[in-house]
Amino acid sequence: MIRIESFSFTYEGEKAPALEDITLRVEEGGFAGIIGPAGAGKTTLARAVSGIIPHHYPGDYYGRILVGGLDPVDTSLTDLSRIVGMVFQDVESQIVSSVVEDELLYGLENFGVPHEEIPERLETALRQAGIENLRERSIASLSGGQRQKVAIASIIALRPRVLILDEPTGELDPVSSRQIFAMLKTLNEAYGITVIVIEQKIMLLSEFARQLIVLSRGKIAYQGPAREVLSHADELLQLGVNCPRVARLSMLLSERLGKPLPVCVNLDESEAQVRGCLHD
Amino acid sequence: MRDLFQYVPGNSLIHRLNPVTKIFLTVVICVAAFITDRIPYLLFLLCVDLGIGFAAGVPRKALGILKGLLRIAVFLFVLQALVVRRGTPVFWIFTDTGLVTASKVVLRLIVVCMPLAMVLAVTRISDLANALVQVLHLPYKYAFTLTTAIRFIPQFLEEMGGIMEAQTARGVEFDTKNAFRKLGLMLPLCAPLLISSVRRSEATAVAAEVRGFRLRTRASGYKQYPFAPADLAVLLFSVLLIAGAVLI
Ligand SMILES: Nc1ncnc2c1ncn2[C@@H]1O[C@H](COP(=O)(O)OP(=O)(O)OP(=O)(O)O)[C@@H](O)[C@H]1O
Ligand SMILES: [Mg+2]
Repeated sequence: MIRIESFSFTYEGEKAPALEDITLRVEEGGFAGIIGPAGAGKTTLARAVSGIIPHHYPGDYYGRILVGGLDPVDTSLTDLSRIVGMVFQDVESQIVSSVVEDELLYGLENFGVPHEEIPERLETALRQAGIENLRERSIASLSGGQRQKVAIASIIALRPRVLILDEPTGELDPVSSRQIFAMLKTLNEAYGITVIVIEQKIMLLSEFARQLIVLSRGKIAYQGPAREVLSHADELLQLGVNCPRVARLSMLLSERLGKPLPVCVNLDESEAQVRGCLHD
Repeated sequence: MRDLFQYVPGNSLIHRLNPVTKIFLTVVICVAAFITDRIPYLLFLLCVDLGIGFAAGVPRKALGILKGLLRIAVFLFVLQALVVRRGTPVFWIFTDTGLVTASKVVLRLIVVCMPLAMVLAVTRISDLANALVQVLHLPYKYAFTLTTAIRFIPQFLEEMGGIMEAQTARGVEFDTKNAFRKLGLMLPLCAPLLISSVRRSEATAVAAEVRGFRLRTRASGYKQYPFAPADLAVLLFSVLLIAGAVLI
């Protein structure tokens, strides 16, 4: 679905490249997580995939990107946005309406979704984001977390084939964050939507994402299946990325017991593993 | 101050009027205020403004706007009364003509500004934009620019408030009673705030574009804005307001 080959990008006026020699693939129906310290280039990568780079940010562009077979360089942003939906890191700047319902309507109207289909799309998106009760509220009266959910709902209502979310849980509490990821999982599994999510909460990423990409200073430090990437706990910590405790526990166990154990990515797995070890 | 321009959800008769009718009524009140030269009629228009606020179920908002305007009005009144030197002195250096002229200026200001602010309190921004596009055939680009600008006012004030609070905590005297001193402290903040606003509006433009901004046509709107009997009633009322301003 997404292919990036030797991609480098330097913002106009900057000396150092924001991204350097990025090569990666996300299959159709994949669920990829991107993590990395501040300034690593995560947002830049999201902009490049959604076509905002190079259409709105000039700079030195090398390599090649393909999204659903389209090259962002010679596809208009409008055409690309029929395939790719993006939730911005700065939610505030994404909002164009004063009332929640209108915010969801905006994209649906623009993309010409048949009017008889609109009520159903609206209700489904509100339900999936868990904000049915906010439908008539003025956006100015919402909390940061609620606004974040509105922004997410307004994009999922469009049912894009690729969904990119730039730190969608930044303002959310742990329970809501988990809800959002559960929703992404449903969209991914039920509708086959390819999901790419930039996220600082490693525990959520390791549990939900099947593919992890660790960015550091504009380069890919690690990428691969979540378990494989998490087995580099010490190296990740040096880059400023914490490993979830369950993963570290697995590695500690395997070190102490002197035998290789699979890396756990959630509590249930971890519990089973610990029980297994105690049993032995 | 911050939520002065914010939409207050509701279902009153005023809320349900066609957005174009609301704008029309606002314009009519402005025109009437400039045609008439009589203080009682200006006072009557002020009552109309307040009446609209109460009918829309936002009396607190209406009174809040009035209070805000009164502060500016006092300043303007004194200034105006001092400038006009014709007429006979009545009190200290104020003349009767000066006081009358000043009252008119101040009343006009209030009468004109109140409905402008209230339209935003009782109309969803997107309804405003859609109705302008559908009914008045305004190109969507301009409607979007207008509504985005309106949307940025409270955000701008919010940021300004945030910075001022932070500076006050660091000992800058933003809480000073001296208005001129306060203004002097606030002005240097405007440049960085404007820059961040411009940056944010650019980001909004991009966000709108990836949500199909360029595809939008006059037929895109999901909601329709037909004219109802209530709109006709407001139209009649508008004619009366203008007639009153001319005749009385
Ligand atoms: N519009 C821009 N113009 C110039 N340089 C930029 C621009 N946006 C980002 N950069 C630079 O590119 C680099 C990567 O920034 P990016 O926003 O992609 O990081 P990030 O990983 O998303 O960080 P964060 O976690 O803070 O969101 C940074 O050095 C940043 O200063
Ligand atoms: Mg970022």
